[in-house]
Amino acid sequence: MSKFLEIRSKNKDICTLGECGGSITSILQYLLETKVVDGVLNIKKYDDIYDGVPVFITDPKEILETAGSLHCAPTMVADLISEYLDDKKLAVVVKPCDAMAINELVKRNRFNSENLFIIGLNCGGTLMPEPAQRMFELFYDLNPEDIIKEEIDKGQIIVLLKDGTEKGVKIDELEEKGWGRRENCQRCEVKIPRNTDIVCGNWGATEGWTFTEVISEKGVKLINDAVKDGFIESKTPSDKQIEIRAKLEKIMEKLADKFQKKQLNTEYPSIEKWDEYWNRCIECYGCRDVCPICWCNECEIERFFENESLTPPDPLTFQGVRLTHMSFSCINCGQCEDVCPVHIPLSKIYYKAQKNYRENTGYIAGITDELPPLYSPENE
Amino acid sequence: MSDDLKVVGFCCNWCSYGGADTAGTARMQYPPNIRIIRVMCSGRITISMVLKAFSDGADGVFVGGCHMGDCHYSSGNYKWRRRANMVGDTIELLGIDRERFRFEWISASEGEKFQTTMSSFAKKIDEMGSLHRHFKKIHS
Repeated sequence: MSKFLEIRSKNKDICTLGECGGSITSILQYLLETKVVDGVLNIKKYDDIYDGVPVFITDPKEILETAGSLHCAPTMVADLISEYLDDKKLAVVVKPCDAMAINELVKRNRFNSENLFIIGLNCGGTLMPEPAQRMFELFYDLNPEDIIKEEIDKGQIIVLLKDGTEKGVKIDELEEKGWGRRENCQRCEVKIPRNTDIVCGNWGATEGWTFTEVISEKGVKLINDAVKDGFIESKTPSDKQIEIRAKLEKIMEKLADKFQKKQLNTEYPSIEKWDEYWNRCIECYGCRDVCPICWCNECEIERFFENESLTPPDPLTFQGVRLTHMSFSCINCGQCEDVCPVHIPLSKIYYKAQKNYRENTGYIAGITDELPPLYSPENE
Repeated sequence: MSDDLKVVGFCCNWCSYGGADTAGTARMQYPPNIRIIRVMCSGRITISMVLKAFSDGADGVFVGGCHMGDCHYSSGNYKWRRRANMVGDTIELLGIDRERFRFEWISASEGEKFQTTMSSFAKKIDEMGSLHRHFKKIHS
């Protein structure tokens, strides 16, 4: 079987309902119906496209509810597996940051990756729900509630309205004015998560098909069986399509590099600015709670601040301790920044710390297969 | 070195603390600003402890351990070294000069090395002065 495939659902309804031929929806249905997995962990649209909730699905019919993309709901699922689902056989659909978080958690023995089918998605980035709504008002000149579907394609954020009209605006244009994707996504360098079983996406794909890269043995078996059982059909893409996909990835990586230089070097906040940020901290522990890497049962920060009633907390022992605990494993998911009620650009400092660590030790969080060198028992 | 500057020194029981002892019994002079905290092994020291020292008013932090291969618990100092290499970058991100932190391998017989290390570190801290962190607290 070739490494690159194009697949789509054999079910006509799913084909039109899902994105790019609904192949992931069908694969998930195959996994559930043949009882290969106990359940599927995915994100479902709740009230509108700005609201994504993680769902654990055991009924194949419910899979349909998770069809379609949700770029305006950057919800993560990795820590849910370690907290609630570590004893189950699971299929999970992930974006690159989720895949990296899973990689980090598996390395820390939070759950067993053998029980997991990880289906990766190409990811050009996500948007924050609130700013996205304002952005649609300002730049698209429409009511954000009228949007029923959105998609990032060909460098544009495209929205589909209730009345069937489509409208797209170039991402570059939006980002120049400070809108568009989340800052983390702008600087994220992993656009195709290759630490998964299969990766799906529309880059290089023919209309109505999903371009798939099969990575692991498990992935090969998964696709073969799903084709055999008649859930999906597959064909081999042309060399040109593979080239287009590779080229797109290169372009995205280059762009990410540019943003990284801008956000982590030239426009990185000064120490005075950071003190101003730290001064806002209300010690809500949101950044710690939401972090997919942070998981200690007994938290050291809590111990430090047990008897302390002053806010803001001292940044050295609050953010600083967190920095030393997990920054070498920061996967740049940006959740800490998303949940911070006082808008401290936390993930910038964490990610910069991981970059430093990467330079010194060669350890890339979420990608390298071994544990960070800090955990090594060796004499070296 | 002016007297109000403080250096916290974490010294491992088997080597550096012994080194400090050797320096003391041989009456070698070194600046009095260092406050030594004895730990059983440099492998016990975490970066959080260094940060806590800075946060509680230290102007410099020194960590002493056994030479590579000499650790009483065989690999403690290797573990510390891996952490120590992170400290510089971390405190710099938090606005503290990386020169304010130093770690050194000093054996129990190296009283002189302890003395010279302390003197040069104290001199460095003296040059840099007190650690002014303009982080004012708002009382709730």
